[in-house]
Amino acid sequence: MKIIFEYEEQKNTGYIQEEQEEKEDEEGKNDVSIELPSDIVRKELPIPNLNEIDVVRHYTNLSRMNFGVDIGFYPLGSCTMKYNPKVNEDAARTEGFSNLHPLSPEECVQGSLKLMWELKEYLKDITGMDDFSLQPSAGAQGELLGVMMTKAYFKHKGEKRNKAIIPDSAHGTNPATASMCRLETITVPSDARGNMDISRYKEALSAEVALVMLTNPNTLGLFDENTLEISELAHKNGTLMYCDGANMNALLGIARPGDQGFDIIHLNLHKTFSTPHGGGGPGAGVVGAKSFLADYLPVPRVVQRDRTYSLDYGSEKSVGRVRSFHGNFGMHVRAYSYIHSWGTGIRKVSEHAILNANYLQSLLKETFDLAYNRRCAHEFVLSSKRYGEKSAMQIAKRLMDYGFHPPTIYFPLIVPEALMIEPTETESKETLDGFVLALKKIATEIKEDPEMVKRSPLSTPVGRLDEVAAARRPNLRWQPFQRQNKVTMNENSP
Amino acid sequence: MDYIPTTEKDVQEMLKLIGVSSVKDLVAEFNPAFTGKLNLPKPKSEIELIQHMKGIAATNKVLRYFVGAGAYNHYIPSAVSHLLARGDLFTGYTPYQAEMSQGTLQAIYEFQSFICLLTGMDVANASLYEGASALAEAALLSCSYTGRDRIFVKERLHPHYLEVLQTYCEGAELRLTDKMDNNTACVIAQNPDFYGNVENLRYLAEQAHSVGALFTTCVVEPTSLSILEPPGNYGADIVAGEGQSFGIPLSFGGPYLGFIAVRDFLFKKLPGRICGMTTDSRGNRGFVLTFQAREQHIRRERATSNITTNQALMALAATIYLALMGRDGLTKVAKLSYAKAHLLNGKLEKLNFKNLNDKPFYNEFVVKAPMSAEGVFSRLLKKGIVGGFNLGEDNLLICCTEMNSAQDIDDFISAVAGG
Repeated sequence: MKIIFEYEEQKNTGYIQEEQEEKEDEEGKNDVSIELPSDIVRKELPIPNLNEIDVVRHYTNLSRMNFGVDIGFYPLGSCTMKYNPKVNEDAARTEGFSNLHPLSPEECVQGSLKLMWELKEYLKDITGMDDFSLQPSAGAQGELLGVMMTKAYFKHKGEKRNKAIIPDSAHGTNPATASMCRLETITVPSDARGNMDISRYKEALSAEVALVMLTNPNTLGLFDENTLEISELAHKNGTLMYCDGANMNALLGIARPGDQGFDIIHLNLHKTFSTPHGGGGPGAGVVGAKSFLADYLPVPRVVQRDRTYSLDYGSEKSVGRVRSFHGNFGMHVRAYSYIHSWGTGIRKVSEHAILNANYLQSLLKETFDLAYNRRCAHEFVLSSKRYGEKSAMQIAKRLMDYGFHPPTIYFPLIVPEALMIEPTETESKETLDGFVLALKKIATEIKEDPEMVKRSPLSTPVGRLDEVAAARRPNLRWQPFQRQNKVTMNENSP
Repeated sequence: MDYIPTTEKDVQEMLKLIGVSSVKDLVAEFNPAFTGKLNLPKPKSEIELIQHMKGIAATNKVLRYFVGAGAYNHYIPSAVSHLLARGDLFTGYTPYQAEMSQGTLQAIYEFQSFICLLTGMDVANASLYEGASALAEAALLSCSYTGRDRIFVKERLHPHYLEVLQTYCEGAELRLTDKMDNNTACVIAQNPDFYGNVENLRYLAEQAHSVGALFTTCVVEPTSLSILEPPGNYGADIVAGEGQSFGIPLSFGGPYLGFIAVRDFLFKKLPGRICGMTTDSRGNRGFVLTFQAREQHIRRERATSNITTNQALMALAATIYLALMGRDGLTKVAKLSYAKAHLLNGKLEKLNFKNLNDKPFYNEFVVKAPMSAEGVFSRLLKKGIVGGFNLGEDNLLICCTEMNSAQDIDDFISAVAGG
């Protein structure tokens, strides 16, 4: 494949015609001359002119070198790669949503405000929290907001607390977020059943601890059996409980973090509520809080009075804005639409997510080592250590040749040669059986023909990529007249 | 609707294999079990659902916009949304497995290249959430690089951006300052500024550098970059801002597209994903995520940022937009936006509106109206026009793009004049 900058110059498609301007103006000022000081006017714009057909072909061909849920099974643990219903795309692309300016008068945006208000009400009910902000753009920003709220809360109370307890199985974002907010992370190890080690937790819980950050169920796909005790001890200590809700797909209608003692939660709408992952975003990391923390949520907030919706900016305690405007509204529309499609039947989503995960776990636990021999929630972690070092990587690469996206590998960090598998509820038994067959076959191949497995993937548009070279000789952008490394065009690629 | 393909027969077989008698047994350890009834709407068929959604959308009013202030109504070629709708791109995730994600990765590489060309910077990342938090990331990066904790913000930064900076500073224990001295980590200036003024900021870059601070240019209306000097040419070390103008719908404020680009010496401090070119085992060109050791999933509490999911699909939209528009199209968009704003400004001046811009402006300008801003807006609203951003009392911030037709401008003028 060429890079877009490598095409020969073409005639521009001309989406914008200056003629649009020509009938204009009684003073006869038809020409569009720019009268700006010369020291601020650009001398050249080194962007190619191309015509629509080649641009469309270029990106269509790129898309054919990509894998998504629409192509096949994508059991990427912790990411909830469920099917993204098409109707939600139509909903979000409706003119009344997609072409609406965020600074329109409130009387012109009642539909959007109503949708946001109702979505917030649904999420409150689903999680057992008392209030929600839809503003954060992604889970990590939701976490950041949660930690900022915690800091603001203790500052307001006049308490100095600068530590966060985080189990060693946690997503990397948890400690990264804590340290962005200058909280020191106390890492607590997991016990033999995959729970946070309760006695180590008790030792760590001091008057300086502001926050306990738990993923629920945790990243091993396990419900921490001590959750209620952990919350109770935290609260006795004046410490807040934060729920990383990335794994909410296990809990819909089954259990509510608000009932488990969590004070703040973020949800990833692009995981649990089916908004498309987009190749790495946009997400939406909405944040819920118990009533005593609700005043710390960002402004503005959508409020309802007499069936009229408006934006409320008043809350002295609010931590402020975490982004411009009102959040990733397009994602709110899709999630809202998804919730309406399931409605009161939404528990089925989590039941089937858990059923599918346990089914896969049962079928695979002999071929691989189960990290923790318990029933799992919506995902589970296998170890391929019996197949040697780097085997998780080899298995992942070989799976591509069978038409499957690999699971998350080498995470959580506490499991050697980890394969973290999350099937989601939208996969059929036939697909799951096919995946099991492929993994079992690879387990045989890795013993019988290890060299072939090491060369895999063999069927993808490119072979294994040299990451070391990428880092050693960084080439991070195309440059005019740059001497690109000698490139052989890939005959297999479109 | 029911997006679960498993039949009841399958369920029974699966349960049997797992060794439980019901799904309820599988979730027995989740306590306390939720036994209430969720207060959610009734499940809907697709017909009911789309009618419901269109019904809500219909209670919004999409009007003729003369408001910008951080969200710009530019034309989006049809091909953008058609290409974005390809499921192979929009239903994938972060390209952890490069061999299956060359489409997303190459598009990111192209995006990074476009951003560098437009800003005059050396390295751009794969995108950030949106402009305001991208600017906050630039401030965090500056503090981390310089080991200082104060941030100087030139006046006339978009108010949302300033509020987000304040929020991030409070969280990260940094301070906004109005003094430039050797505690200053970075100097931030928006160009064009919130009022649409443009200027060569070399003087400010030099002041920043003279105290050892980094200079950040914030760009909120990136179509301006097609005709304005790239910030890299007047001394910017970091350019951060918003890319919504490049092919991304207004969508009531999001999802938009944050971007950040830096000089070479800062790139290991960049937050988020970076894509690099390399070769594969067969000797072909390919792309990978690179320098991941900066990132949270490897470095945890020592990461440059907690960013994980960014705005890949929006970056793709911008990349496709830029490729489709090309040099000529981008230049026309900028020139028309500029021309229409100046045309409207000229016509308003004849109606005793006083322009308050103290420098040349691009496509947004400030006027003092001969009546209250509210009064102007309500007259315009009756004609289906959103007339601008209310700066208080009789001051308005007005924006034009190539979408505002000559007729729109005439209607704007007659509505204001015909009071």
